[in-house]
Amino acid sequence: MNPARDEILQALRNNRPTPENHPLPPVRTLGDLDASRERFIASLKILGGDVLEPVEGETLDQAIARRHPDAKVICSNVPEARGTLPVEKVKTPQDAATIDVTVVRAPFGIAEMGSIFLSESQLPINSFAHLGQHIVVLLSPDSITANMHTAYQERPEFRSANYGVLMSGPSATADIQGVLIRGAQGVRSLSVWFA
Amino acid sequence: MSNKPVNHARAAEHFLEDAPHLQFHDERLWDMRQKRDAQMHILPEWQELREEASRIKEHTLSRLPEYLEQFEANAKKNGIHVHWARDGAEHNRIVGEILKAHNARNLIKSKSMVTEECDMRPYLAKQGVSVTETDLGERIQQLDDQLPSHIVVPAVHKLTSDVAKIFAKDYHTDPNIRDPHLLAEAQRQAARPVILHADAGMTGGNFVVAETGTFVVCTNEGNADLSATVPNLHIATIGIERLVPRMADLGVFIRLLSRSALGSPITQYTTHFRGPQKGGEMHVVLVDNGRSARLGMEDFWTSLKCIRCGACMNTCPVYRRSGGLSYGAVYSGPIGAIIDPTFNERKYSTLPYASTLNGSCTNVCPVKINIHEQLYKWRRVLVQHHEMPFVKREIMHMAGKLMGQPKLYRAAIKATEVSLGTMPRFVLYNWLNPWGKHRENPHPVKQTFNDWYRRNREKARPAAAPETKK
Amino acid sequence: MKIGLFIPCYIDAFYPEAGIATLELLEKLGQDVEYPLDQTCCGQPMGNSGCNSDAAAAEALFVRNFAKYDKIVMPSGSCTHHVRDNFDAIPQTDEVRHVRENTYELVEFLHDILKVDAFPWAEFNHTVGLHNSCGTLRALRTASMSELGEKPFSKPMDLLSKVRGIRFVTPKRPDECCGFGGTFSVTEEAVSAKMGVDKVRDHYQAGADYIVSADSSCMMHQQGCAERAGVPIRFIHIAQILNGAAQ
Repeated sequence: MNPARDEILQALRNNRPTPENHPLPPVRTLGDLDASRERFIASLKILGGDVLEPVEGETLDQAIARRHPDAKVICSNVPEARGTLPVEKVKTPQDAATIDVTVVRAPFGIAEMGSIFLSESQLPINSFAHLGQHIVVLLSPDSITANMHTAYQERPEFRSANYGVLMSGPSATADIQGVLIRGAQGVRSLSVWFA
Repeated sequence: MSNKPVNHARAAEHFLEDAPHLQFHDERLWDMRQKRDAQMHILPEWQELREEASRIKEHTLSRLPEYLEQFEANAKKNGIHVHWARDGAEHNRIVGEILKAHNARNLIKSKSMVTEECDMRPYLAKQGVSVTETDLGERIQQLDDQLPSHIVVPAVHKLTSDVAKIFAKDYHTDPNIRDPHLLAEAQRQAARPVILHADAGMTGGNFVVAETGTFVVCTNEGNADLSATVPNLHIATIGIERLVPRMADLGVFIRLLSRSALGSPITQYTTHFRGPQKGGEMHVVLVDNGRSARLGMEDFWTSLKCIRCGACMNTCPVYRRSGGLSYGAVYSGPIGAIIDPTFNERKYSTLPYASTLNGSCTNVCPVKINIHEQLYKWRRVLVQHHEMPFVKREIMHMAGKLMGQPKLYRAAIKATEVSLGTMPRFVLYNWLNPWGKHRENPHPVKQTFNDWYRRNREKARPAAAPETKK
Repeated sequence: MKIGLFIPCYIDAFYPEAGIATLELLEKLGQDVEYPLDQTCCGQPMGNSGCNSDAAAAEALFVRNFAKYDKIVMPSGSCTHHVRDNFDAIPQTDEVRHVRENTYELVEFLHDILKVDAFPWAEFNHTVGLHNSCGTLRALRTASMSELGEKPFSKPMDLLSKVRGIRFVTPKRPDECCGFGGTFSVTEEAVSAKMGVDKVRDHYQAGADYIVSADSSCMMHQQGCAERAGVPIRFIHIAQILNGAAQ
């Protein structure tokens, strides 16, 4: 039917080492199991992300305006922030390109890495997380899992989302003479707002 | 493709002549190795993770046909089109056809070593498809028409001034820019419109999960996510060895990958693709290109465990002082030297010799590939397959004979002692001239140890020839 | 326990003092040591270059010379590594297995077998940097390896620290290969020499007067690099220090 497929699979069957000699090891949970907000924040900062802390009863909109004073187009996909551009206006992947600050909610974070998870369930369109200049991510401190083992074992989103990204700080590169630059091709900054 | 053996030694010599580039290259990669060590020290479970990773990979390779079929079934269920390519040409044809069917002329892509293996860009260029690399380092290499010199940091052999010159030509920026931030910004500004107007996006795949039909892409720049989410057509090229059985296995590999590669805990983006986005189409091309044959090589099949972190390159003292391009191959450094000969034994016959067999590569490998032992074994295979230069082979043959005959050997030493102004030829077997190019010869001595022993100890014991143990 | 002493070809020809120190040291420690006169080479150069069948004659001779001893000791890590791990150009008879299983590098022999706890005759009033050859470090595992993050240990350091007056410095990249690599030193001479000069500079900048090593082959290469580059540092085999070298 598909000669390439059949030929490859047959060659693999002929050539593989004896399967009985290589049993599948059981799934293990190794390492630090601290799922605290403090560990999450420390990890997030290592990767260049930051926490947006409210100052004296500030609303989220006010805090975003304070952090990104030059932002003109703020687009929020969460009820906690109003933004300036209604999210319904973002219909095609390219529409997200004009946004200065996107606001989303992550269903969970990972303390070991300071990562937040986003999928199509949290995004009007997948490029929403990447084409804006900056991103503000809402995260409940109760939704932090300890490390990569617990994340993959416990979070159902990995099995249900068609598109699921763990973002650990903003985009970065060190491809020019080893100099670390935050804000390469994707977002220039990533801030987490605990709520 | 020419079959002429790569002259690594000469290319390395050339690389060594440029002190500023050499010094940066060595120090930058050594710094990555140091950062990797720091991450290892943070995790008491590091060696357990390596062991787990190795066992999961070996298991998967031993059941690869079953896991590939499982992946294919799950991926199809989720709406992914799955293709199979026996070699690079077939891969390129498949990708070309997908693009043609969508009338796609502008392709943006993130870094993929497999597409380098397949030499895809020139093929697509001939079909009238414009291909733009979106990873900064890979883009620099594309504009400079060079292979990536490192699998993780493709332009690590270049300095800021080199990049400034390249960008000046293509992006019309100031050739005298010396601030990497300005150059990275120039890349961002140049890439954005290309990304927004692309017809198709292409990525590789770091890991493939059989039980869910997911593939995972790890980047720091976010360029793979842009390539995959802005255009509605996403093609992923993936080597068939990239499978893991379970979603939970990713926990082990993601914890090891970036720590080993760059010494950062995780890549900034770890993206899980399980199906096309709303209104989009997704294709996965599974590429063999020699992998199924390699699986049958008893001494070398474990090289398929490789997760392409580049840690072996960073730690390799030879790689750091010769540069990735000196290997003349898609894969450079220690891992390249054990993989490349499977693609072309004659052309890459010199690469297993571009090593001191020091073993540091094996120690840093997150999936425990015995790289330096495979280098040693490749040398045996290459000699058996007559891929060693005749003169070197003959010298070894003569030396081996001499070493079996103590009387002739002693006579040879005596002869050299007389003319010991030069390097005694028997020790390093005649093709010794290069020794003295950058080094002094060892100093002549009045008597060998053997002579000394005869004079000072021999009378204490009988001079009979040694007997073998009963 | 009867000990057969193997002196590698380059020590025999260029560093006889390292061989003499090895013999004298073992004798001082009360050992019954013999040096079979008809020895040549362990076969490593042929084995490492891939020409394994050409190592057969050397390996057969090695076994003829040493099979009758209880232990075989040599002041060389890389030769020990070859005998122990790669010595398979000849059929693996009981005799061959006996030889392979009972071959020791000098430091391991002193540290693990004799468990020497003092060298009362040894004094060395110099600052030294220790060079572990990759053979001793990563194949024989005589010291902890930086890549593995294991608990630090060092058999050569354990021995050297029993010497009066000795001071130690640590280079920035303590277990980076020096670039000798056997035939690598000539086939890849440019990289090899660069690695060598980087290595000796690293020790010199750390403040070492001497580089001490259990492998003369690495030091032969390093010395050549140091002399050419004008790095004023001296070289000494560990056996010479432990034997009470009066430098």
